Amino acid sequence: MTEQTPHTANDAVSSAAPRPLVVAVAGNPNVGKSTLINAIAGTRLQVGNWPGVTVEKKEALFEHNGRKIRLVDLPGTYSLSPYTQEEIIARDYLVKLRPDLIVNVVDATNLERNLYLTVQLMELGIPVVMALNIYDEAEAKGYRFNLHGIETMLGVGVVPTSATRRSGLTELLDKVLETAAQPADHAPRILNYGDDVETAVALLGDTLRREHPALFALYPERWLLLRLMEGDERLRQEINLAQDALPEEIFHHLRRGHGEDLEALMADARYSQAAGLAREVLFKKEERRVEMTERIDRVVLNRFLGIPIFLAAMWLVFKLTFDLSKPFGDWINDMAGGPFKHWTTVLLGLVGAPDWTVSLATEGVISGVGFVLVFVPVIFMMMFFITFLEGSGYMARAAFVMDRAMHAMGLHGKSFIPLLLGFGCNVPGIYATRTLENPRDKVLTALLIPLMSCGARLPVYVLFVGAFFPNNPGTVIWSLYVLGIALAIVMGVFFKRTLFRGEAPMFIMELPPYRMPSFTSLCLHTWEKGKHFLIKAGTYILAVSIFVWFLLNLPWGVEHKKDSYLGQAGQVMAPVLSPLGFGTWQAASSLITGVIAKEIVVGTMGEIYAPKKGEQKKPEASFGEDLQEIAVSFGKAVKESASNVVSTFGVSSLAADEKEDRGPLKATIQQTFTPLSAYAFMVFVLLYMPCVVVAIAMRQEFGSWKWFGVAFAYQSALAWGMAMIVYQGGQLLGWGV
Amino acid sequence: MGAFDIVLMIVILAGAAWLLYRSLWKKKGHCPGCDGGGCGDK
Repeated sequence: MTEQTPHTANDAVSSAAPRPLVVAVAGNPNVGKSTLINAIAGTRLQVGNWPGVTVEKKEALFEHNGRKIRLVDLPGTYSLSPYTQEEIIARDYLVKLRPDLIVNVVDATNLERNLYLTVQLMELGIPVVMALNIYDEAEAKGYRFNLHGIETMLGVGVVPTSATRRSGLTELLDKVLETAAQPADHAPRILNYGDDVETAVALLGDTLRREHPALFALYPERWLLLRLMEGDERLRQEINLAQDALPEEIFHHLRRGHGEDLEALMADARYSQAAGLAREVLFKKEERRVEMTERIDRVVLNRFLGIPIFLAAMWLVFKLTFDLSKPFGDWINDMAGGPFKHWTTVLLGLVGAPDWTVSLATEGVISGVGFVLVFVPVIFMMMFFITFLEGSGYMARAAFVMDRAMHAMGLHGKSFIPLLLGFGCNVPGIYATRTLENPRDKVLTALLIPLMSCGARLPVYVLFVGAFFPNNPGTVIWSLYVLGIALAIVMGVFFKRTLFRGEAPMFIMELPPYRMPSFTSLCLHTWEKGKHFLIKAGTYILAVSIFVWFLLNLPWGVEHKKDSYLGQAGQVMAPVLSPLGFGTWQAASSLITGVIAKEIVVGTMGEIYAPKKGEQKKPEASFGEDLQEIAVSFGKAVKESASNVVSTFGVSSLAADEKEDRGPLKATIQQTFTPLSAYAFMVFVLLYMPCVVVAIAMRQEFGSWKWFGVAFAYQSALAWGMAMIVYQGGQLLGWGV
Repeated sequence: MGAFDIVLMIVILAGAAWLLYRSLWKKKGHCPGCDGGGCGDK
């Protein structure tokens, strides 16, 4: 972590004012910590990242009963052991920056497991207030708590809360202020871990006080002693303490009585405390009804049904995505190719712009960027459904059912998360590999992420399935995603047996209960995930569209695009693609520019196949008529989209008729591709080299171009090989029509 | 093609190159999380 103190970071208060009370919010993952903080802080919340890592950091500065409070959200962790990035961040913050108070958010429906972290937090000696969250659900389950018992036994304040219902929040803040007013009276109790442990701790304390007294000014005493006794290597290196500086005779007795592993001994001691406390303060009804989550999980996590259900869920996502978004994509296409192009031409004519700038604007920028924007509805719709699956708790199950497949690749289920992120965009997937513990897992996962079909590839699929597979577009796109996953498994196995030998470590996966995500949060997260596609369209896709236009029109005055610089480059590459069924200079040129970003493949095709000005047959319309047409056709798109939802679920009589009017680009590619070569082309786009931004991300994460080089080499070979198998195999089977 | 066309062409190409450099290399592309500052040191 960078140098920072809890009391000065981003403080918006003047130096004369009393400093804000710094409250760290700690808890297990999925206990409603973020919801609680959002409910308390609202718009005062500042979202950022912990320094140097991609773990999200939330902070809020606000006033309660006249006292300024700074809330700092720590990453969700199960313990303060220094093994994962989240644990290290939380622990470093608590130990080194020492907040005034800790709010420990505890899941009331899962008290015993959550208490493990509580016990560790108490070792820090910082006053703790426990937010017993999801209290309403616990009560509904028939759980009863002895709140006074928890307070007495642990020496921490306890407030029942329900963050989703915003209940108990004022009481929680009142308790925070009450505790902070008299911190000495609210020190957590020192739990007794057994005579042997306590004797060892006392002896170690005596030794360190004698030989390294300065350490106690830097670290909380009990925490320091317990961690050193557990053999915390990271801490020992941090304080520059040699292994032999710790008197072995202190631990000898412990080891003889309890085995070699003192860390396991301490974990046992803490779990015993947690279990004992839970038994004392929590009363459950005798007859435990089968929970809804459990009932669903019996089916969803079934070893035979799990993967088919996952594949079926993904199929439904693609089908719904395509059916719902297509009318909006068509609407943008009509607008970009019609009124927008027309009025741009008129406007440039009015200012006396040279003819070639009109061509650059309409055939270059509008055709290039416009063809990418056409697919924005598809991308947003896809992100919406993926966000829904994440928020509902199903994606965690998907990771769980895929765990066996991940182990076959030499990875554990945790690697599935960066791979899942890769479906949105490969770049955050690459950065998310930072959350994996060992470098081998990081590199192997990063090498497989580009095989996950990112949103940028969707425009290519949508264009081609619209032209060649209009009757079952969702199924064809789904097959490409499944092909990506299957090849990731195959390549994972291959890498495991060649470059990355060894077994994946074991990992406990959290399965949160099923919840219905709120529509507002779904929309916010969808926007967060999808907006960078819009940013891309306005930045480097715009820039590349301009370059492509010049490359298609240079040398100046070139008659045919085939003879342009880009056409010539495409002609050089085309023979390599001939065995794959798309050995044309147009396809080759599009693939060359698509290296910048995959959606540029369609942007370039849009420019290459853009009709010349004279070829456009659109009748002239007034500005008012065009505005009216835009509004009317949008209404039609909404209606068609709604009809498509109905047809998705099989009530086809209500579905809209298939639109016969196809855009000029679709019509042109129908003349140059066959369904088989179109599918081979999509397979090639799915697999061929990662885009430039992924290359940069890999370079940053792994410190050299070496692993990008490996990804480039194997993906190029894989793309060529798979597309060749599809095309040549299809022809052998007589599908090459 | 006159001098004005050539100058305009150079300006447009330079603008595109700057946009490409800024968005691809200087900002290292865009990804969800960039706004949060997590990619600030990338």
